[in-house]
Amino acid sequence: MRLSAKIIIGFSLIIFFSLISFWVNLRLSNEVNRNTEFLTNSEAIIRNSAKIHKSIIEMQSSHRGYLLTDNEVFLQPFYAGLKELPLLFEEENKLIQGSPKQLIKIDSIQLLHQQWVIYANSLIEAKRKTLDSVHKSSEEYIDLFENKLQKEVGKKITDEISLKIKEFDRQEYFVRQIRRDNLTESITNARKATFGLSLVTLLVGIVSTIYITHLITKRISSMVNLAENISKGNFEVIHDKENDELTDLVSSLNIMSEKLKKSFLELDQFAYVVSHDLKAPLRGMYNIAIWMEEDCEKEFSDQMGKYMSQMKGRIQRMESLITALLEYSKVGRINKPLEIVDVQELVMEITDTIVPKNFKVKISSPMPAFKTEKIRLHQVFSNLISNAVKYHDSEFGKISISSKDKGIYYEFSIKDNGIGIAPEYHEKIFKIFQTLREKHETESTGIGLAIVKKIIEDKKGTIKLISEKGKGATFIFTWPKEIYQIEESI
Amino acid sequence: MKVKSILLIEDDELDVISLQRVLKKMELDITLYNAFNGTEAFELLRGPNKIPMPDLILLDLNMPRMNGIEFLEEFRKDKSFDHIKVFIMTTSNDEQDRYKTEKLGISGYMIKPLNFTDNSKKNSSMDYFMHFQMNKILGSD
Repeated sequence: MRLSAKIIIGFSLIIFFSLISFWVNLRLSNEVNRNTEFLTNSEAIIRNSAKIHKSIIEMQSSHRGYLLTDNEVFLQPFYAGLKELPLLFEEENKLIQGSPKQLIKIDSIQLLHQQWVIYANSLIEAKRKTLDSVHKSSEEYIDLFENKLQKEVGKKITDEISLKIKEFDRQEYFVRQIRRDNLTESITNARKATFGLSLVTLLVGIVSTIYITHLITKRISSMVNLAENISKGNFEVIHDKENDELTDLVSSLNIMSEKLKKSFLELDQFAYVVSHDLKAPLRGMYNIAIWMEEDCEKEFSDQMGKYMSQMKGRIQRMESLITALLEYSKVGRINKPLEIVDVQELVMEITDTIVPKNFKVKISSPMPAFKTEKIRLHQVFSNLISNAVKYHDSEFGKISISSKDKGIYYEFSIKDNGIGIAPEYHEKIFKIFQTLREKHETESTGIGLAIVKKIIEDKKGTIKLISEKGKGATFIFTWPKEIYQIEESI
Repeated sequence: MKVKSILLIEDDELDVISLQRVLKKMELDITLYNAFNGTEAFELLRGPNKIPMPDLILLDLNMPRMNGIEFLEEFRKDKSFDHIKVFIMTTSNDEQDRYKTEKLGISGYMIKPLNFTDNSKKNSSMDYFMHFQMNKILGSD
């Protein structure tokens, strides 16, 4: 699977869970809203039913007052109620639309009230007639008074109305309690669901992020390894089983590694050709020159003898150039074995062989002993010491060698009292084929310091020169205490 | 055993001259035959104008037509050559070459010096090398 697909799947999962969370929350909040709405509605219903009840009671008391006092003024609340109540009932009906039980109750209350209104009106009518005919109470009123009022017909109706309203309210309160519990529960549920889903989303996010990061890191670190190995001269390839965007990079790296390996092998082949095929004829020429000297020396004029020795000198120079060039090409490409090197011993060995008797060598500080590539360190010291000897004009030479422990590396310095090097040449002398001397001098190939610099830089060390013309020279170089190297690969 | 004759199988004529000079200088009564490659060597050993059996063969490895190892393989198949000592004289410092030739049976393996400036001037010539090696080979008899 391609990496981008994996990343998209990871993000899709997160988005998917977020959507689910959002949807669940929406649903739960709807529920909460519905319950809240219902509670508000229920309060309105109770308020309304209280109004109805109050209005009915007022009508009853005004009716009673009129019958007692015969004063029409008392009837005002009765008529007001008559006008107001149908509106209140209508409103209440609207509010309890969703509850058939309560509707029935309200209907029966209204019906009872209408019955009472009919009864009350008939009493009012009869009373008025009695009041109109002076001193004589109407038979109709008496009949009503005796049969209805006395027998508490009106009271019974109003009591029933009160009872029904109470029942209605109780029912409303009961439902409201259930709804309130529902509301609390739905709020709790909403909280739980939000928490749970957020947790799941978070987990999915973390897991997919870790997985993808791990995947990419693993691949990249294997490529970094490959690149490091290539830089160390170990040309391997990665066997990549995945098939994604990074595979292209891996295969490019593999191709690079293989091409480098091939060209390094070719270089080695070239080195062999140079060492064998170029040197063989040179050796032949040298031999012939020696034979000529041996066999025909007596026939030579002085001039010819001089020419012969000049020719031999040039052949030798050519040979040492080829050797040095080969050596230069091998630095950093072919690792030498690691062994414990006593630098004191190494330096003494070098000075014994290459420093002439008229030189005084001083090792001014104790030299370390550590595990490193002995041959390379030997090359560096012998090149620098032989330079100190070579570039010298006074009768008595002085060479001073010292070392300093600088933590992860050692710093060595080689100081002489020779002819010195003017600052403008300080960089030039480290370049290949640069020699500050005349070309005919056989011992100077111009590669020595270039090899020194290449070896030191290959070891991640540095070299610098402190010198002025005529005032001697000091070469200071650093050399790491630990050298990591891999198996020789070619 | 006294060495009466040597067969030098070597494509570089200068090496042949060098050996001739050394043998002359050493004042030894040794006949030197030479072939420039393995095929020529077999012609000398088996051909119509064949030479008397040499006591010693000095064999170069890197030669045109039939190289040293091919020659030695062929040479070892013939039992009549068993008494002839074979020394390898080559510029090859290759482990493989040394291993292969030693397996085929040789009396010595000499590496011709390629560098001639490292040593003191006298020691580094081909003549010096030849002289030194011949002393060793003939002296060890």
